[in-house]
Order: sequence, then C-alpha cells, then structure tokens
Amino acid sequence: MTLTSIWLLPLIGGVLIAFMPPRFAKWFGVLVALVTLGISAGVALAFAPGFHGYQFPEQVAWIPQLHVFYHLGVDGISIWLVVLNALLTVIAVLATPVTMKNVNRFIGLLLAMSAGMAGVFLAVDLVLFYVFWEAMLIPAYFLLWLFGEGERPGRAAIKFVLYTLAGSLLMLVGVIGEYVFTGQQTFDLAKLATIPPAAAVQFGLFFVFALAFAIKVPLFPFHGWLPDAYMAAPTPMLVIFAGVMGKTGAYGMLRILVPLFPNPVDWWDWRWVIPALAVAAIIWGALMAIAQRDMKLLVAYSSVSHMGFIVLGIFSYNIQGQQGAVLQMVNHGIIIPALFLFVAWIADRTGTRDRSALAGLASRMPVMAGVFTIVVLAALGLPGLNSFVGEFMTLLGAWERAPVLAVIGAVGLVLAPVYMLRMFQGAMYGEPAGPRPSGDIYAGQLALMAPLVILMFAIGIYPYALTQLMTSVAQVGLYR
Amino acid sequence: MMLAATIPTYTWSQAFADLGQIAPIATLTGFMLFAIVTDLVIPIKRRSGVVAMVAVVGLSYSLGTAVYRWLYATGGPAYSGMATGDNFALFFDILFAGLGILTVAISHSYLQKRGMREGEFHILMLAAVIGMMVLASATSLVTVFLGLELLSIALYVASGFARDDSRSQEAAAKYLLVGGFASAFVLYGMALIYGASGTTLLPDIAKQVSTLSPTNPLLILGVVLMGVGFAFKVSAAPFHMWTPDVYQGAPIPVTAFMSVGTKAAAFAMIVRVFAGGLPHLAPEWQALLAFVSATSMIVGNLTAISQSSLKRLLAYSGIAQAGYVLIGVIAGGKAGLAAVLYYLFVYMFMNFGAFAVVTLLAGPDGDRDRISDLSGLYKRNWPMAVLMTIFMLSLAGFPPTVGFFGKLFLFTAGVSAGYTWLVVVAVLMSVVSVYYYVRVLIPVWSTTTRAAEPLRASISSTSAIALSGVLSVVLGLYPTSLLIAAQLGAGPYSP
Repeated sequence: MTLTSIWLLPLIGGVLIAFMPPRFAKWFGVLVALVTLGISAGVALAFAPGFHGYQFPEQVAWIPQLHVFYHLGVDGISIWLVVLNALLTVIAVLATPVTMKNVNRFIGLLLAMSAGMAGVFLAVDLVLFYVFWEAMLIPAYFLLWLFGEGERPGRAAIKFVLYTLAGSLLMLVGVIGEYVFTGQQTFDLAKLATIPPAAAVQFGLFFVFALAFAIKVPLFPFHGWLPDAYMAAPTPMLVIFAGVMGKTGAYGMLRILVPLFPNPVDWWDWRWVIPALAVAAIIWGALMAIAQRDMKLLVAYSSVSHMGFIVLGIFSYNIQGQQGAVLQMVNHGIIIPALFLFVAWIADRTGTRDRSALAGLASRMPVMAGVFTIVVLAALGLPGLNSFVGEFMTLLGAWERAPVLAVIGAVGLVLAPVYMLRMFQGAMYGEPAGPRPSGDIYAGQLALMAPLVILMFAIGIYPYALTQLMTSVAQVGLYR
Repeated sequence: MMLAATIPTYTWSQAFADLGQIAPIATLTGFMLFAIVTDLVIPIKRRSGVVAMVAVVGLSYSLGTAVYRWLYATGGPAYSGMATGDNFALFFDILFAGLGILTVAISHSYLQKRGMREGEFHILMLAAVIGMMVLASATSLVTVFLGLELLSIALYVASGFARDDSRSQEAAAKYLLVGGFASAFVLYGMALIYGASGTTLLPDIAKQVSTLSPTNPLLILGVVLMGVGFAFKVSAAPFHMWTPDVYQGAPIPVTAFMSVGTKAAAFAMIVRVFAGGLPHLAPEWQALLAFVSATSMIVGNLTAISQSSLKRLLAYSGIAQAGYVLIGVIAGGKAGLAAVLYYLFVYMFMNFGAFAVVTLLAGPDGDRDRISDLSGLYKRNWPMAVLMTIFMLSLAGFPPTVGFFGKLFLFTAGVSAGYTWLVVVAVLMSVVSVYYYVRVLIPVWSTTTRAAEPLRASISSTSAIALSGVLSVVLGLYPTSLLIAAQLGAGPYSP
C-alpha cells in the first residue's frame, strides 16, 4: 500500500480540494503534498541498495484476460524521480497565490497531475504505465486551458494535447505489439526485457515508443508544442510541468526503449538516430535560448538544450551515461523550476519579462539577485553545483560511445553561459534602468527556494548519495 | 425440408421450452401489449406517467429474466432453430433492456417539456427494444429480417415523433426511405444466400456453404449485398449519409436510443449472420468490413471536426465508433468478439450519457443542440458538467474511463489477428477525435460566459445520467467482470 498511497493520496486529496472552499485549499493541498513527500522520502530511505529487483512491490491481477496486473515497484532509477515529483509538488502548491481565482480547482488539478506522474514512475506493468501516461494529460490540459496565461491558452493547451497524443496513441499500438509479437502475452516490463521481439518488429516498435517519448521530452525536432505550452502555463504549474513531465519521457526512454529493444536495427539504426537528435537538441535549444528576449521563453529553450544531455546520456548505452542521465533528470528538475520561479517573481515586481528592458536589478533587489546567482551558476554547470556532475557523466558516457557525440554535445556547455550570463548580467548589473521593481522577494519566497538551493549544493558536493542507489535496477538490459 | 421434419413432433412441453428460451422477449411483448391497453383505458390526464411506469416495470422484468436465465438456465435453439436463447442473445437482451430503462428515464421529463404525447412514445420504444432482442436471438435469416423490420419501423415512427417540427418529419421520411433501401439490400442478399445454400437457418447455411466453392457468385453477391445493408444499419461509411440528418432531426431521446441500440443490434446481426452463418466466407466479408471500418474511421472523425451541432457531431463520432467496433468483428474469435460485446455495452453508457445531457438542454420550442448551448454548463449545473466531461473523455478514449479499455481490447484483438494496419488507422484517427470531443468541453467549463439560469434536471434523468457516468468510470477501473460476461456472451462464436 506504500507505493499506492504515493499516487492515490494526491489524487483523492486533489478531488476533495477541488470541491472545497477556496480559502482552505492551499493549506490542505500543502498538507497532502507534504504527507506524500514524507512517504516518498521514507521509501527512499528504506530503499535497499544493491538489491536487483523491484522494491516495495505491489501486484494484483487487474485484467486477467489480458494478463494485465496492477503492479507497482521502485528501483534505483524511479525512486529519485518519485521523490523529485513529490518535492516539486509541495513547492508548486506553496507557490500558488491564494488570491488566484478558483484556487481550489487549480490545486486540485495540480495534485491530480502530480498523481498521474507519480504513477508513471511507479508502474511496472506496461498497460498501467500507459494508463497513467495518458491520464496525466487530462489535468494538464485543464490546467493549461483554464488557468493559462497569454492571449489564447486554450490553443496552447489543445496543441500540447494533440502533439502528445499523436505520439502516445501510436505508443498504444506499441504496447499491444509488445504483448502480441513477443509471443509471451505479458505486459510485465521486467519480463519483456528478457524477450526481445524479432528484429523487424523491434525496429517498428522502437519507432512508435520513441516517437511518444521524444515528443514528451521534447527532443528536437518534436518540441513544437513546448514554447506555446510553457508560455501559457501558470508558474506554479510550470514547476511540475517543466520539472517533472518532461522527465516522464526521458524515464520512458530509459525504462522501455533501452532494455526492451536492444537491437532496433533494420534498414536504419535507431541507436544512432536518437543520440544524433539529442545533440541537435542541445545545440538548437541553446541557440534558440540565445535568440530570446523574453526570459520565460529563454528558460524554456534552455530546458530543451538540457533535456538533450539527458537523452544523450541514456543512449550512450553505458553505465556512466545512463546514471548521469538519471542524475541530470533530478538536477534539471531542481534547476528549471527555480529559474521559472525567479523569472515569474521578476515579472511580478517589475511588470516585464523582457531581459533587455531590465538592468541593474541587483542593487534594487539584492536578496533576489544573490540567490538567483546560485541558480544561474547551477544551470550553466559550474563545478561544485549539481548540474556539473550530471552533465559531466553524460558526456563521459557519450565519449565512450562515440567521441564525436561528446565533442558536439560539449558545445552546448559553451553556449549555456552565453545565454544564461547574458540574461543575468543584463538584467542584474549595470546602471539601474527600466521599470522600478516594487520590492525584493518576500521571505516566504526565499524559504520556498531554500530547499532547491540546498539540494543544488548537496548533490553537487556529494552526488554519490544518489548514484549509489542507481546501480540496483530491476531490469536486465539497462546499463549496456 | 428441415421444417417438415420437426413440426409434427411439436408438443406442449416443447412449446414451453421454446418460450423459455425467448423469455426476455416474451415478457417484454406481454408488457408492451399491456402498455397499449393501459394507454387506451386510462384517462388522458394520468396516462403518461402510468405508461412510463408500465414500460419501466416491463423492461426491468425483462432484464431480470435475462439475468436469471444467464445465471441459471441453459441456452439453446428454440422454434426449430429459428431463434436461440444462448448467452450471446442474453448479453444483448440485458443491454437493450438497460438501454430501454435509461431511455424512458430521460424521455419522461423531455416529452412533458416539449408537450408531446407520452404513451405512444414509450410503446414505440418497447417495440423497438423487442425488435432488437429478436435480432440478437435470431439464428435464421427470416428471424433476422423480422427483428430488423420490427426495430426499424418503430424507429421510423419515433424519429418523426415531433409532429409539428418539420426537421423531425424530414428525419422520419429520410430514415424510412434509406432504411427501406438498406432492408431491401439485406433481403436481396439473404435471398441469394438462400438460393446458394437451400436453407435459411444459419447453422445449416454454415454447413452447406462449407461444401460450396467460395467463388460461387451467389455467395459473393449475397455477402456483398448483406454487408452493404448491415453497414447502413450500423451507420458505417460510405453508407452513413442518413445518420447525421436523422440524428439531428429526431427528438433527442430517440437519437440517444437509436445511436446505441440500433448500432448494437446491427452488430449482433452482423456477428450472427457473418460469424455464425458464413464462417467459410470469412476472408471475403473480412475484406469488405475492413474497408468499411477504415472508411468509417476516416470519414467519421474528419467530418466531425467541422460540426457545430452536438447531435451531428455525435452522429459522426458514432460513425467513427462503428469503425472501431468493426475491428473486433473482423478480428473475430474469443478476444475479438468479447471486445465487441464489451465495447457495445460500455458504449451504451458513454454515448447515451452524452446525448442525455444534451436532452436536458431542450426547451419547449425544440432541441437546443448547438455546441454553444452548453456554455456555462458548470455554472448552471456542475454535476452535469463533470458527467459530460467523463462522457467526452471516455468517447475520446482517455484512461481510466471505459472508452480506453474498450479500445484496448478491440485493438489488442485487431493486432493479434494481424490487422495492425487497421489499428494504426484507428489510432491516428483517435488523435483527430480528441480534438472535437475536447472542443465540446470548452463551452462547458468556459470561465468567460456570464451566469445563466440553473439547469433543472428531473430525478429520473439525473439518476440515469449519473448511473451512466459512474459506470463509465467503474467498468473501466474494474473491467474484469464485464469482460468475463462478454467472453461468455461471445462463447457461441468463439471456438
């Protein structure tokens, strides 16, 4: 029941909150999210390193006719994403302003979306994985549409949903194909990893799964939905939308594409296509970020670039690269929400997100500028902060696979300071100009940022705390 | 030849056994006659409620009989093999009786609101349900046609039930003409099959046809003509032209009933005739149905995008859904047919529920079925807004609703049977369908609409819609029992 409560608790809490008077919504939401975080953290602490297999398993027959099981479990990979999701949910709920219209519905949907994502990370059965994968779209759609910012949030929301569904409904064919074409009539991920389907089938199935995950990540050139959706997303939603939802795609790649399809080679070698796209995403995302003046959009494109590193690490097909990718998923999940929160706070105080319209904020908002420095440095991969270790490991893995991938990928590391520091320097230093901020950030906002900043240092200094558990994975075929 | 051998030995005990096999139909027929008499003798003021009550009691009694026979009786051929009371028939009997109850529940307040005579309406619905049940029990071409006509004629009249509404009259006329065509096609096909096999009993046809060459022109033409007629009845493209007009013109409870009932009955007929009577011609009718299925999914989904009337939108969505269900029929076997039965059963709740919500919007002057008529629904009646959301998400196939699991079963059967291309078409078209289903939700939850007056719903309507909504989720989260029932129902046609 432990793992079930991690997704069921926020779901039930979310439904209750949606029908609660708005004034209780936030604090009840924080309570639900905190309890979930507590359970998740408890699971992580009780996790036995070195044990190869799913821990805390729960297995109940669900649709016996199709051999579908309600089967949950965590291993060294998923545990960190579950914890990350729970942590960011707490921060997202805390970041929600109580003055928002229909705040109860907003928090309810937020918790429901978080529940769906937790389910994706917990599911061991392919159908169950798919159910959570699709179900999390429903709250995401309503959040984007009903609470979105900008001119036409409905348009961004439907674009996001259709983009994602185009991939994930094809993935349904893949899910069924795994059941039929492996000849084993099972949806169990660990079992499926031991029985790869025939070469030609593998080639096709890899494609349908890869498309779904590539859209979700998003990987270049499937990122068309991202600028619109991120621009429309309200900041508290963005915390888990950018922080966790993209990771469900990367997680799917690691959990399904790598172990289930060891050799997706026919008249084309998929094992090289994806890393090539990942490198393209690193460069393209960075270049697009350089070109942006809107800071929210800049951070959104920087996210595309960073997700490229994660995908590159996964498809390095070796242990450094894949552990680095998981580490980087956590790192990115910590940094990107922090960046978006800062952008939102600056916009709130000054009324603009245009980096070229702002200057000299550091002297007017000293506390904000101080903390923002740490986040920016973490984002561009300064040694000692979390992102450095992850990016280094993924590049090391990529080098082992093919030096050319690492060399081109490393260009992204050079471009990151360009867009990050240009934004930071331009907005923070120099002669104060542009709209006058109405004040520095509140103590509450600082407290909200504190856990993220602490984690940036902690993971940067002692990444072994995370990676030591990552060796205990439950599927054969990973780390190769 | 067959008849002559069996009639002389017909005894009273045989007569009772035969009646037992068709007990759900027989009881409902009795109640329909009772309802007619009631409608005649009760004074006009008190008539409507009483007839509705008789209809509900009759349908419940029929439902109970079917459930009882499902649990405790052995189904088998009756009336010299003209009909049967097997699990396949009982599964559909339960479905149709349930649908009838739901229809009566939503139509009572609708008819009062629109000032229509209620007695005849319920009697027509009972007649149509009986026709559907006959169709599901038919194991002879003659019985198939009998059921088909009984159901169609009742619905021709019901479509034109709004007598002072010219669109309703137009719908009835169109439905009569096109339906007559379809019936003629089916009948012609039957005649050719009869000519080739020398019998109208489906099991005997199966035996006879196995000795014939599959290239026999009589058989090929017979399959094609019947296939065309059946495609008309399930409203599958390219024989779907009548559907949007008839759905739009008919009073909404009739549309709601028709969209689920006619479709389910026609699928029962397809399975009975094709899988039951012509298994040796499977490659021929599978090819025909695969074409019809792909066209339906493409035409239905693409055309639905541009609709502004909810009835028309749901009509096109129904055309597309018929395409999905056909995948299961083509795949066949235990998995395929069980998926078909499961999908038809849950389709009753999600599609009927969607129409039922639209029924509530109707005013005294007529149906209000533009998509914009839903605007501000969550302010006018939030439970209905939540339920409508469930129905739309279910039709679009989002988990954890029944629509997803239905599609999962259909598609799994399709891929297992080697129809991966058809499943890929279905999946790509499902993406399109999400666009128009979600578009319906935009006015429902729109925050910009000004508050309108609350939407009142009678207790019976509310409970019918709420039941549909709850089952649309529960049967998805716990699909096992219904799937077992569907497998048992598909039993007669799965080796």
